[in-house]
Amino acid sequence: MKALDRGAKCIVADPRRIFFAERSNLFLPLRPGSNIPLLNGMAYVIIKEELYDNEFVEKYVENFDSYRHYILSEWDLAKASRYTGLKPFLIEQAAYLYSQAKSALILWGLGVSEHRAGSYTAMAAANLATLCGFWGKPGCGAMPLRGQNNVQGVCDMGGLPYVLPGYQSYLDPTTKLRFQEVWGTSLPDREGKTLPTLLREALSGKVKGLYAMGYDVAMSHGDIGVVWKALSNLEFFVVQDIFMPLSGKYAHVVLPAASVFEKCGTFTNGERRVQLFEKAVSPPGEALPDWLILTKLAQKLGYNWNYQSPAEIAEEIGRVWPAWKGILHSRLKERGIQWPCPEEDHPGTPILFTTGFPKGKIHLAMAKHIPPFEEPTSQYPFLLVTIRRLNHYNVGSMSRRCPSLKKLYSEPIIDINPEDAKEFGIYEGARVRVWNDRGEVIFRAHLEERVPRGQLYTDFHFETALTNLLVSPGLDELMETPEYKVSAVAISLLS
Amino acid sequence: MVIKIVINNKEIQAKKGEILLEIARREGFYVPTLCYLKDKSYPKNPCGICVVEVKGEGIVRSCNYVIEREIEVETDSPQVKNIRKKILENLVANHYGDCKAPCHTPCPGGLNIQGYIGFIAQGDFKASLALIKEKLPIPAVVGRVCPRFCEPVCRRSLVDQPVAINNLKRFVADYCLEHGELPLDLPPLNERRVAVVGAGPAGISCAYFLRLKGYRVTVFDKEEEPGGLLRYGIPSFKLPREVLRKELGNIFNLGIEFQGGKVWGRDFTLRDLKDRGFEAIFLAIGARKERFFGFQGEELAESGFEFLYKFNKELINLKEYEGKKIAILGCSYTALELSRVLRRLGASVSIYYPRSRMEVTIPQREIGYAEKEGVKFIYVTAPWILEKLERGYRVTFVRTSLTEKKEIKPLPETAFEEEFDIVFRAWGEAPSDEFKNFGDLEAELETTAEGIIKVNPQTLETSVRGVFAGGDFAHGAKTVIQAVAAGRKAAQAISAFLEGKPLKKALITVKYDFSRGKRAEEFDSNFLDLFVPEERAQLKERDPVKRIHDFEEVLIGLTEEEAIKEANRCLRCGCLGIHKCDFREIIIKEDVGVSKARKKIKYAIQKSHPLIEVDLNKCIACEKCVRICPYEAIFFRVVNKGTPAEYITFRFTERCVNCGACVDVCPTGSLTKKNLLVPYSRSEAHAVKSVCGYCGVGCNLTVWVKNGTILEVTGRDLPPNYGFTCVKGRFGFEYYKSPERLAYPMIRKDRLREFERVSWDTALEFVAENLMKISQEYGPESLGFLCSARCSNEENYLMQKIARGIFKTNNVDNPARV
Repeated sequence: MKALDRGAKCIVADPRRIFFAERSNLFLPLRPGSNIPLLNGMAYVIIKEELYDNEFVEKYVENFDSYRHYILSEWDLAKASRYTGLKPFLIEQAAYLYSQAKSALILWGLGVSEHRAGSYTAMAAANLATLCGFWGKPGCGAMPLRGQNNVQGVCDMGGLPYVLPGYQSYLDPTTKLRFQEVWGTSLPDREGKTLPTLLREALSGKVKGLYAMGYDVAMSHGDIGVVWKALSNLEFFVVQDIFMPLSGKYAHVVLPAASVFEKCGTFTNGERRVQLFEKAVSPPGEALPDWLILTKLAQKLGYNWNYQSPAEIAEEIGRVWPAWKGILHSRLKERGIQWPCPEEDHPGTPILFTTGFPKGKIHLAMAKHIPPFEEPTSQYPFLLVTIRRLNHYNVGSMSRRCPSLKKLYSEPIIDINPEDAKEFGIYEGARVRVWNDRGEVIFRAHLEERVPRGQLYTDFHFETALTNLLVSPGLDELMETPEYKVSAVAISLLS
Repeated sequence: MVIKIVINNKEIQAKKGEILLEIARREGFYVPTLCYLKDKSYPKNPCGICVVEVKGEGIVRSCNYVIEREIEVETDSPQVKNIRKKILENLVANHYGDCKAPCHTPCPGGLNIQGYIGFIAQGDFKASLALIKEKLPIPAVVGRVCPRFCEPVCRRSLVDQPVAINNLKRFVADYCLEHGELPLDLPPLNERRVAVVGAGPAGISCAYFLRLKGYRVTVFDKEEEPGGLLRYGIPSFKLPREVLRKELGNIFNLGIEFQGGKVWGRDFTLRDLKDRGFEAIFLAIGARKERFFGFQGEELAESGFEFLYKFNKELINLKEYEGKKIAILGCSYTALELSRVLRRLGASVSIYYPRSRMEVTIPQREIGYAEKEGVKFIYVTAPWILEKLERGYRVTFVRTSLTEKKEIKPLPETAFEEEFDIVFRAWGEAPSDEFKNFGDLEAELETTAEGIIKVNPQTLETSVRGVFAGGDFAHGAKTVIQAVAAGRKAAQAISAFLEGKPLKKALITVKYDFSRGKRAEEFDSNFLDLFVPEERAQLKERDPVKRIHDFEEVLIGLTEEEAIKEANRCLRCGCLGIHKCDFREIIIKEDVGVSKARKKIKYAIQKSHPLIEVDLNKCIACEKCVRICPYEAIFFRVVNKGTPAEYITFRFTERCVNCGACVDVCPTGSLTKKNLLVPYSRSEAHAVKSVCGYCGVGCNLTVWVKNGTILEVTGRDLPPNYGFTCVKGRFGFEYYKSPERLAYPMIRKDRLREFERVSWDTALEFVAENLMKISQEYGPESLGFLCSARCSNEENYLMQKIARGIFKTNNVDNPARV
């Protein structure tokens, strides 16, 4: 907002006329699920009109010719326009505006990630930045606006089946050795399974036990009807949380954890900024900070873990991941530090790639378009998009329990275009039934001009309206993110 | 380019183009401002109090003075001071509000009454109790016996009836005796020892506050159980033993030693205590010397005070009083408690009092309870002669009138006689000075002309160094809350004495406290029209016919619903923006009194915004709110600014996203958060550094904490948010105290059963056992571990370490897909 005040230009691509659309120089109301056609269409213009940063491309890009060929042959403007529903000149304008800027940043949210082609879309966006040389300089790059407060951190910490903390490979011998030395134990060398795989294997009976810390799988996952079946099939399921999650229904153990105000530790935001939070109040009853629960559990498992504070754990992280060596709690009292921070007096790294790239050259991905798993049909004529409301958060377990926030927004609402509403006899505040083969959910209707015809928008903040029952089983081809953004549903007035 | 400038004769390096105000602040010079916002536009009518004098240029506003060349500046020349004062006086003249709630002033305990009522209104009873206990460690007791200095001045009484302040206090105290309190932030005991003599309210309160500071306290009392007057003077139908036992138990359990049955002068002297390593001593043995009225044969009457002690120690033959005709002379607390005990023992009781009912010094409602129980009151009647008969007594009474000095004047011509089985005297009690001959240190204790121990009124220290005295013992028989206040004061003084530091003096700010009107007649009734009359909550009183047959409590406390409803009757007079009020700070600093403040309400209080309350009567038209708002969500106009005809128009537009930036930047109580109902000062709260627990932006927050409760959350001026947050950052913290929080580990063998609460050991053994079993039976690949995008880095690191290091599986994932 400050940047816009100072005169920065802004392009907004969103099916809905969102808040920022008003402040943008160019608004692109594309069809849901057509991100790649838009980005590749822009790449087409940038290449065709030779708007790219030739010097940068020559220096850093290893496969420009094949990429050029792919874009020029596959993504002419007419095609991009057809898929996105945008007039060709709008895509052209966007390409000019972006490529001719001195510096430019591409930011995206879940509207990019929560599609079957989510990962490819991120690559397509990164391709644009590469074409224009928008890396390693202030105000440049391509980044997701991360949804959850420590989603960056949990990935950094190795909360992923295919890498160790710091995105290090468990197959790399030096890394392995370092971990074995610090941990005093050996590491597994078979690749792990992602949650969607774990759930599939729980269904088939291969996976028997699950331990979920601060993650309400039963409410937040897409197509949760299937998730419930998988969870009921587990032999043993532990949940650790601050409120009884929906998953608690399937659990054998519920462990009470401390909230952010009741413990200390660090979170890493979307800019890799590691920030310290301190304990403000005591946890309720016998609830404990998660780190202490895990430490005690390790002791019960016969391991001599003896962490006295999160600061000690942070030091250990620095020993297994060199880029974190300088991230010490004592240094974070005033302000955060952006990793990589390899030394105890290193100031942190606000901007990556200022002196080149980790692998030397950039490989441009041939981002292919994958249409959504589902399209509206005559039976289910509406395209349901799940979104978040400003006043709530994710599954709403916290925000629903804040009286102030509840005052602002207290029940599940679905947004519908007024014309569509009229057609279906739906009025403002009416109770409506939204359904497909996977389930049915009741909402209150809100008539919203910003919503395009044929689309419905709602959140999944309420336990009383489990929107995720309706969400399509489609998954991102690479990362298996559920396709929360495109599901086919029907709507009718509840009599 | 560096330019040398001189501020108040000090040379300073400045950069060309810098703002003078910024330089002055950076260099630590005091230059007040009410409207300056860094990097923002200036208001149409700047406040003008940031003026300074620049040599050769005269008076300038420092907020828009750009450094171009070398200059000499004076920040507090007489002319500067004068201009500031004029501007501030104009602002004062337009300000209408109460800095502090009227109920706060008369409370001897100094309780934050509006604050604890505010917490009750939000259903946060534990936080309410913690706020009370900050000043008063025995609220369940005081909630039953307090004479309520606060209620008569409660503003609500101008609308209908005062808020039932004391009953609300009793409610939270009782609630927490049953449901537990918030954990105290208790320091470990140090090695410095303090002796407290007397386990009454003053002694216990002193011990409590000393313990909170870490001192090792021993309380000595001549009785076997602690409580003093509370235990042995007040009957159980007024203060149930169980309540007293629990409340005092909670205090002694903090690590305070109690030695019962130890009599000062018999079992120990002050010298003994010093020799035993007590570095300071607090004497609070109460007022135990009976007062006499002064009439013939008075000594023949029985002592009411002694009777109560004996009765409460169960040394009385209860049958002895059944059907007896009893007179009580005097209408002290002792007289009333005694009369009601005797009624329960089956006696017929009359209280004789030389003055009228309205002159009784204890609350009228206490008389009412006794009357309902059948105690007869005979006013303006004094005993004249008492004779002991073979069986019983004969008393000659006279009617009385008052002299010009309002002294009692007996009228002998009205004399009449009456016979009784028993006559008690109960004129009240006074401190005794019999300690004088206990020992050498005691002999050094100076006393006043009335024979009361002499203490320094600020420190409560006696003439002997390190020996302090308070409560009824030092100020004469007063109320429990006054004894508690004395105990707290002594604890502060003793702590200062032990640390060798001067006692911190409280700043007296009355001169700068705005008030909507101190007396009812000067109060603008238009303000009261904003409130709808609502009935005051009443305690249920047990049927007198039934209650005189037992010693169960007479008054039944409020229910949760009643308490919350009653708490919402509070008008919230005290300013809920006082913690952020720069205006107040500046008028104190510039010594501008508020006697000329506006006494009439000009604007109705706007309550339509869901989270923010707007009181334009406190607006100084600085326009900070308008300028900070990134959403253009405030419509603001001011005409005739700074004159009596000033008129402000303010409203939130539909663009408002409820972020609350405007509230935090408002330098008065004009904009306040509706979820903050506790007046506080920033110096009494801890500012805890935090990071928002919602989205991945990672806004830096300051969490304001007091007594283990979060009062509010504000943004920190650091990247990435530079002071801004969304609505969740400022208002989304409330979930942490939801009653739905998981608080205990629970397990079940299978999904068909209900969860059962178990210890951590049992729960974690159950987890360890089952995970091990699965891993051994089906291999590590049959297990999955899910990290959290809401937990800290350290915690997620440990989770994957358990998976990889202990179970040897890479089956680790996280909610990045959600």
